[in-house]
Parts: sequence; structure tokens; C-alpha cells
Amino acid sequence: MLRIEGVSKRFGGLVVLRSVSFQVSQGAIVGLIGPNGSGKTTMFNVITGFHRPDAGEVVFMGRRLVGLAPFEIARAGIARTFQLVRPFAGLTTADNVAAALLYGRGLRDVREARAEAGHWLRYVGLEAALDTPVGALTLGGKKRLELARALATGPRLLLLDEVFAGLNPAESAGAVALVRRIRDELGVTVLLVEHVMRIVMGLCDHVVVLGSGQVIAQGPPSAIAADPQVRRLYLGEDHRAAG
Amino acid sequence: MLVQAVQALATGLLTGTVYALLGAGFSLIWGVAHVINIAHPALAVGAAYAAYALAMRGVDPLVSLAVVVPLFFVLGVVLYEGVVRPAARRSGDLVLVSMVLTFGLAAALENALAAVWGPGPRVINVAYTGQAVRLGLLALPVPHLAGAGLAAVTIAALYLFLHETLPGKAVRAVWQNREGAALCGVNLRQVTGLTYGLAVASAGVAGVALALIYSFSPASHLTWLVFVFLVVIVGGVGSLVGAMVAGVLVGALTHLTTLVLPFAWTPFLLFASLGLLLLWRPTGLLRR
Amino acid sequence: MSRAAAAGVAVVLLLLPWAGTGEYPLALLSSVFMYSTLAVAWNVIGGFAGYLSFGHAAFFGLGGYTTGFLLVRGGLSPFLTAPLGGVVAAVFAALAGYPCLRLRGPYFAVVTMILGLAVRAVILNLPWTGAAEGLWMTLPPWEPLSARRAFYYAMLVVALCTVLAVRAVRLGKSGVGLEALREDEDAAQSIGVPAVRLKLGALILSAGLTGLAGGVYAYDRSYIHPDFMFDLHLSVLAVLMALLGGRQSWAGPILGAVVVRLVDEVLTVRVGTEAARIIFGLGLALVIVLLPEGLLPHLLRLRRGAPRPPAAVPAAVVRS
Repeated sequence: MLRIEGVSKRFGGLVVLRSVSFQVSQGAIVGLIGPNGSGKTTMFNVITGFHRPDAGEVVFMGRRLVGLAPFEIARAGIARTFQLVRPFAGLTTADNVAAALLYGRGLRDVREARAEAGHWLRYVGLEAALDTPVGALTLGGKKRLELARALATGPRLLLLDEVFAGLNPAESAGAVALVRRIRDELGVTVLLVEHVMRIVMGLCDHVVVLGSGQVIAQGPPSAIAADPQVRRLYLGEDHRAAG
Repeated sequence: MLVQAVQALATGLLTGTVYALLGAGFSLIWGVAHVINIAHPALAVGAAYAAYALAMRGVDPLVSLAVVVPLFFVLGVVLYEGVVRPAARRSGDLVLVSMVLTFGLAAALENALAAVWGPGPRVINVAYTGQAVRLGLLALPVPHLAGAGLAAVTIAALYLFLHETLPGKAVRAVWQNREGAALCGVNLRQVTGLTYGLAVASAGVAGVALALIYSFSPASHLTWLVFVFLVVIVGGVGSLVGAMVAGVLVGALTHLTTLVLPFAWTPFLLFASLGLLLLWRPTGLLRR
Repeated sequence: MSRAAAAGVAVVLLLLPWAGTGEYPLALLSSVFMYSTLAVAWNVIGGFAGYLSFGHAAFFGLGGYTTGFLLVRGGLSPFLTAPLGGVVAAVFAALAGYPCLRLRGPYFAVVTMILGLAVRAVILNLPWTGAAEGLWMTLPPWEPLSARRAFYYAMLVVALCTVLAVRAVRLGKSGVGLEALREDEDAAQSIGVPAVRLKLGALILSAGLTGLAGGVYAYDRSYIHPDFMFDLHLSVLAVLMALLGGRQSWAGPILGAVVVRLVDEVLTVRVGTEAARIIFGLGLALVIVLLPEGLLPHLLRLRRGAPRPPAAVPAAVVRS
């Protein structure tokens, strides 16, 4: 469904992505992992059109995305959440989602959008927060709101940027279950950037490892865990694997 | 023709130095307090009138600085503590509030000056008005030299303060990263107040310098505002050196264009250049 | 405001010119209608979209000079050509605004301020519209009261059109989109909001309505000059009225305009123009410090008996 082909990106003298290629199959939950600075969020920004790659192509359901404006990519069916949560603070939680329905899905009527917003808020578990001002939500609540907003655009592919960071174990478990539901019930393919290894290994069907802007390894979680290069990347040269 | 061009260039460099000073003070306030001080050139006009009033009593403008500088420093601190700081604490949108607020102050000041001296232009005549220093084929008017010299000395003093003294370094720290400086123990309130005082004092000096060179009226602050914006946008909001280079560039450009275009079109050219520059490089031509 | 009260006000406004009050109240109200138009129109780009224009006088003046030019050169009545003034202002906004909208925050504010000053400087030197002498737009030999009535209704229509248009934007899909854009332009784009299109549209609408008002005003004034048609004071006034009344709603700026115009009138009559502007400038500072959100939200809260929200955002801790 999503094909990254030889994408390279540099900022001034710093090369952040070096001819990165990988694929995301329809219906999969794919994890994108790697140490800090390996280019994961930049990859997301390239996919969603916020950065233009210096080389390479992004193909989504047969359509080339490079050069399209971010809002066009959103309407094409890719939604995302942000590493540092970015809800619309001055809007109500309902309007946050309504905006996505109106512009991402193309609804015309504001009242209709606000009504359906309730449905999405319930889906992510925020039914109690319908009237809460965004500023009063906990971090977990804000992440759910961002998720509801992303889902409301009716995407085929969902990009999650470190959505599990900062969540306590209970919230984490709930989030994992929610992501599974999104894939199983809504048929949305998921590509997630994550640092919490336990979650990546448990949730993802396929994992892509980035190191210094290059793909170091990719494959099912078990293979990645055993890969010596990945170990070296995370643990350094002097460590012997425990077994 | 070449002589005229060089003459225009030389004059431009002199007036440019004064623009640089005006721009530097404005830049200081924007960078440190995040306030866009529309009243900055208006304060300079105020200083020009103060110098004028004293000149009427036989006090040379350069001497009047002994009064203007401390007075304006205090004025700056008062403005910060009394107006800017309370507004900043209560509002979320400092850009909007500061622009409207300082515009209000500028308008009040303009009308106050007009009420006392009328709307017409004033000129300061001193012992050396009309005299010029001859340098080969060039004639450098003494008042211009005085104004430029004044501005240059003040900019140098500011630079030394910012780079060689501890309070100055604190100002630079806040200029670069407000939150970071606070985390290092810098007292933001004191530093910002100090910056305001310095900036307004520098506006006072710039006003006196400009009064030596140009005629002025209560409404002049709007014309000078354009020069301030030009200097700050070209030179960047982050740098004193940038303001200096930008000021000189702007001064030179302004005077050179009068050779080619009728004087009336100069503002348009300036605006057009500024507008284009802002679109191309909003953070300034010169990197910090 | 209840429907009955609104209807009552509407009736009063419609019938007032025939109530024998003389010219002054009609002139004052005309002025209030015009200022309301300015404030409400400004708010589309300044309040809803969050792009603070400090150069709206450019659009106002362009509207006025368009009707002026068409009257002097073509003999066309501004009552007919005022919409064209709006169109000229809108086209200018589209051309000059497109590059300007690529800037954000303070840079946009500064560049629009410069734009306003620039347009003034250009028109001041343009021979075809009177340059520094200004332009006379002589009225036909009407009775003063009849003329006053005509302008009253003209301005009322302009104000009404503006309010209805802006209200429709605010309550409709664009309103939500603009708000999202204002809050976080990048996040808005990521959910499909076409940022450039939307903010350009907002600017064009805002400029067009402002130009329309300028077109009518020019005729009322009968003499136009760049100094007051493109006055920076007017630009800032537009900002102020919206700020004062409350930028979140379509109605807030109306309240701001009414307050500002009436206070200005009282001050000018009592103490003269210059003193009025001084007091104005200082009073302005005071109001902004005390009521950062604007009057309307404050009044609404008072009516509802709700507590005042905490001051500003946590960043204020470090700001001072």
C-alpha cells in the first residue's frame, strides 16, 4: 500500500535520510524503530508532505506523493499523529474532530460534523470528555483526541509518531488494544514510530530499523530482535548479547 | 556623475549609521522582550523635540544628551514596568497586544508633541550648521558627521556593554533564549527592564542625531518607522552587527536612489525592497 | 440578544432618518456602521484566521479611490460603483496578500503595516488621482438631510451585508477551518485543511468588504486624500475594535466598534482631536492590559455568572 523508494533528505550539511526503501503492506501494523536522530520523524514528514525529499519517491496506493501539498496527502488517505501532541487548543474537543470530518472527509454541514464527532470521540474512549476544554485533558486524553481527529479523516493509512510515550502501563495497554481495533475493525493500515520495544515487538507484524538515516534491517519482530546489527545499533560494540 | 554617486554614498553611510542605531534599539526590544515597539521612532522624535527645546535656549544638542540619555533610560524602565510587563502577563498574544499598545503610545506622543509645537516641521540650527568638511571632491556636512559620530559611538558602547560586561551578557543570553536564560538563574525582570532602559535611551540618542541631520515634525515617526523596519528586517532581529551593516546599507541605498528617481518615489522603492526582502528572507539577509 | 430586542433595534435603525432628529445622529450612526464594517471585516483574517493585518487601511483607501476615480473620470455614482471598489481592494489583496500570507506572526503584522504605508506613499505620488492635493468628489445638488439619509442607508446596507457574510463564514465550514488554521496551521494541514486557499480567501473577503465601505465613505466625505484614506491610525483602529470587542465571534467587533466610535466622539467634542487621540492612545493601553480577551467574552461571562478563567497561559510564568 505504501512504498518508500530510495528517499534521501538532507538539512544543510546534515544527511538525515540516506536512500531509504521499505514497504508497508495493506492491513499490516508496521513499526519504524531506531535510535534518536535516525530519521524516523523526518520520514513521517516526508510521507505527509511537510518536507520534500532530495531524492526518491513515496508511492501510496499507486499514487506518487512527492510534491503534493500536505492537505492533499491528508485527503488522499494518510493521517498522522504528532510526537509532541498538537490538538487545537482553542477549539472544543468536538470541533477538533469536526474539523477533520469537514476537511479530511469532505463533509459539508457543520452540525452533521459535530454530531459525528461524538461517535469518534466515543470510539477512542473520550466520551466523558465531550465538553471538556482541550487544555484540561491529560496527556493520554490529548493523544486520544489526536487519534480521533486522525481517524475522522477516514484514512487508509495511519502514521503514529511515538503515541505510547509518556503513558503509564494501564494507558499503554488500552492504547495497544485501540490500535489493534483500528486495524481489525476499520481496516486501517498502521505505520508507527516507537521507542518502547516491548510494544513494538508485541504489536507489529513487520519492523523496519533505521540507523543514521539508513535501513539497517527489516523483518518480523523475532528476526529483528535476533539481528546482530540491530543489537549493535542499540547496545553498542562492547556488549555481548545475553543469549 | 561618479562624484555625485560617491557623494550620495558617503552621505548615505553617515545617515545610515543613525538608522542603524535606531534599528538596534528596536531590535533589542523585539529580541529580548518580544515586543514590537512601534513607539520606538516616536520616542526618538520626542528626543529630537527635547533637543530642539534646549537648542532654543542655546544648548548644543550634543550637550543636551547629558539630560536626554538618563531621562530616556528611566523612561524606558518606566514603560516596561508600568505598561509592557503588566500587559505581557495578562495576554496570550503578545505580538498583537504590543503592536496595538505601542501604537497607542506613539499616537499619544505624536499628538502631545503636536499640541505643544504644532504639526509643522522644525529644524535645529547650531553653530556648525551649513559647514562641511572637504575631502577631495566630497563635501561632508558637519551636522551629518556629528550625528553619525554620535550614533557610531553609541552603537560601539552598546556592543561593548553586551559583549564585555556581565549584565550585558545576561541580556544577550535572554536575547538568544529567554526560557534557557531563566533556567540559568538570570533575573528576567531586571534584564528586560535594563534592556528597555538602554533601548529607549538609544532611541533618545538616535533622535538627537537625526535632529542634527533632518528636519522633523510630530508625524516624522512614521517615516522613521519604515527605516527601522528596514534595518531590522535586513539585519535580522538577533544582531547588533547586523543592524549596523543593514543601517549603512539602507542609508546608502536611500541616497543613491535619489540620484535616479525623483525624491517622492524613494519611499515606494524602499517599501518595495522591504516587502520583497521579507518574503524572500523573513529572518533577515544576514545570518546571526 | 433576544429576537424581539434585535427586531426592535432593526426597526429603530430603519426608521430613524425619518424621525426628525436632524443630521448629527444620522451622521454619527453612519460612522458607527462604517466602523462596525471595518472591525467585523478585519476580524475574518485577524480574528478567525489569526493573521494580524495592520494595513487594512490600504483596502479601505483603494475602495475609496476607485469610486473617486470612476466618479471624476466617468461620472459614475459611487452608490453604484462602491462594489467595484470592493472588488479592486479584493484583487489587490489577492495579489499582494498571497506572498504576505507566507509569513507568520509578527512578520505578517509588520509587512502589512508596511503595505499600508506603501500604498499611501504610492497614491500620494500618483497624478491620476490627485496626488498630494487629494480628490474632490462633489455631490449632486441634494438637500443636506436627503444626502445624509442616503449615506445612512448606504452604510447600513454595507454593514448589514458585512455582518451577514461574516456570520455565515463563522458559523459554517470555513469558520471551523480558519480556527483550526489559527490554532496550528501544520496540524490543520495534516487533517486536510487547505491552508493557503482558506487564508487567502479570508483575506480577499476581508479586503473586499473593507473596500466597499471605503467606496461609500469617500463619497460621503466628498474629498479624499491619502493621509486619511490610508491612515495607519485607521488600520490600527480596525485591530483595536476587534480586539476590544472580542475576536472569537462575528459579533464581538461590532461591540468594539460602537464603544470606540462613541468614546472617540465624546472625547473629540469635549477636548478636541489631539487631546482625544492622546487620551485614546493611553486608554487603549489600559484596556488591553485589563481585558485581554475583549469586552464581549467578558460581558457574556458576567451575564452567565461564570468565574474568570486563569490569566494567560503557563508560558507567562517565564515571559515576565
